[in-house]
Amino acid sequence: MKIKKMAIDWLDSRLGVSELLHQQLGGYKLPRNINTWYALGAVIMALFGLQFLTGILLLIYYVPDTEKAFASVTMIMNEVPFGWLFRYLHVVCSNLIIVALLLHMMSVMFMGSYKRPRELTWISGFTLLNMGLVFCLTGYLLPWSQLSFWATTVATDAAGAVPVVGEYLVSFLRGGPSVGAATLGRFFALHVLVLPLALMGLVGFHLFCVRRNGISQAPFGKHYRPVEPSDTFTHEEHHDGIPFYPNYTSKELGVIFFALAILVLITFYAPWLFIPLDALVPADPFVTPDHIKPEWYFLWAYQTLKIFPSEFLGLAVQGAAMTFLALLPFVDRGPERRPGKRPLFLTCYLLGILLFVGISLWGHYS
Amino acid sequence: MNRLFLGWMILVLLLWCGPALAQDTVCVQCHGGLDGRLGAPVGQWEKSIHAANGISCHDCHGGDPSDFAMAMSPERGFIGVPGYEEVPAFCGRCHLGVREDYEKSAHGEALANGGPNCVICHGNHEVVKASIDLINEQDCTRCHDYERAAEVKGVIAETEAKLQSLDLSVASLHRVGIDVERLSGELFSTRNQFRRLFHTVNVEKLQQQRSAFDSDLAEIGAQVGEIENQLSQRKLIGGIIVVLLVLAGCVALLIRQTYHSEEEAGE
Repeated sequence: MKIKKMAIDWLDSRLGVSELLHQQLGGYKLPRNINTWYALGAVIMALFGLQFLTGILLLIYYVPDTEKAFASVTMIMNEVPFGWLFRYLHVVCSNLIIVALLLHMMSVMFMGSYKRPRELTWISGFTLLNMGLVFCLTGYLLPWSQLSFWATTVATDAAGAVPVVGEYLVSFLRGGPSVGAATLGRFFALHVLVLPLALMGLVGFHLFCVRRNGISQAPFGKHYRPVEPSDTFTHEEHHDGIPFYPNYTSKELGVIFFALAILVLITFYAPWLFIPLDALVPADPFVTPDHIKPEWYFLWAYQTLKIFPSEFLGLAVQGAAMTFLALLPFVDRGPERRPGKRPLFLTCYLLGILLFVGISLWGHYS
Repeated sequence: MNRLFLGWMILVLLLWCGPALAQDTVCVQCHGGLDGRLGAPVGQWEKSIHAANGISCHDCHGGDPSDFAMAMSPERGFIGVPGYEEVPAFCGRCHLGVREDYEKSAHGEALANGGPNCVICHGNHEVVKASIDLINEQDCTRCHDYERAAEVKGVIAETEAKLQSLDLSVASLHRVGIDVERLSGELFSTRNQFRRLFHTVNVEKLQQQRSAFDSDLAEIGAQVGEIENQLSQRKLIGGIIVVLLVLAGCVALLIRQTYHSEEEAGE
């Protein structure tokens, strides 16, 4: 104990660690009306952490070669001790991350937390959601199954609808005219190196924005006090708020445990929910499976391409929708955050969710 | 050993050449648009086990499935429709073992005198997955009494049921990511050998040899059972982890609740 105290004192006298920890934990005050939805950020961080861990373990045995990739995944699943567990955790967790990212985004939208001065927090968060989707897309190809091969073929093919540069774009994404060894190589590099590094940087920036602006109040209940927007930088202080540690971290920990319980439940009892039959067959470029469909989070995009008479129009609509969401804080500039006082927003919000779910279901059953 | 090898060879051949060739060939394109006798086989074939396994028109009838003009040219190997007595040899190009045992059977020996060929029991273009239900009073009594056929069915029923049950078990294991290549190969081989045997329609021979198949299936069943046990253990452990995580979540929320009470008291 004495040695521990000496070590802490030694560090403290040089770096002021105790003060720093107090500032960031016990002394960091959150609004009194903070709710469970705010814990989704911590859940996403925990799930991404798990993805890093399981991803590294998979990386030890996975071979990024079109001739060996499927066999290496089969080996991981059947011969490597607990390999099945790490792979299923990785697969199921990737889907839960998308669910958590979507819920996080929807809760932020509902509470109007994206509004000034938190535009950068929103944009970095929205970019993180898209990065999560790219993670999934690139990871999808790696097992080199029929599903991997054809889903990637369909996904990259859509880029061909972009006028003028479409053909070049498809070739750039695939590393050649069709999905092959070059595609696997570049998707692998993106999945295990480029995207994780970019993700870490962007998560850091997102957290910096959150910490710098201060946590926004939930726009409900007796504790809510509207904050007037300011032209100069102001950190939203909550002097009468609750300490981040241990008061709110205990709640975050609880929500993380529940999320992990869902993850383990699906991993042990129903991993096939996220592994269609075509994912169990090695890739064969000469055999097109019937009814190849993208994962659930891309179904809306897949169906949008089919609804419109031309793929370009479908892509343009998707691009417009995504741009609108990215720039939402600049479009919806009113200071009001209470959902009950924003009927137009609330209507668009609910219709938007219904549209997303409806088009996805249409895509699934079409 | 030979049986296993033969089974593997058939499996490899099916996997290698099957699905790749079941494309929309010129045969299907042209005959699909025709009425009556010339068009009917397309619809029938589409529902068949052959179509499901990627066996297309040209695999049986020959010809060039990629060239409209030469599709039915003998120069490109077109055979056309076999004569009644040629059918066993026609089907037997792929189903070698079955052909061999059929030819030695009462059915095969009676072929020249109008005895049944393959399509009498199995159908031609709409050939469905073979099952024990093909032996039934309605069909067998088209030619003879049902008594002997019923005896054959009685002898093979139990083994067939085991085969079907193991098929389902192996498919379930495959569905959860278990590598069943070896098990499927063994099962495929055993099933083919068994089905070959009962084409002899010889009750005595079936009774003598059935136990060897039952023993092979018991061995496969034991392997399947072992894997299923491992999966059950996994689920048990998974269930325990889920309960522990839920409990940990509840404890964390209870701790949060104590802080919440303190916060409200301090207001």
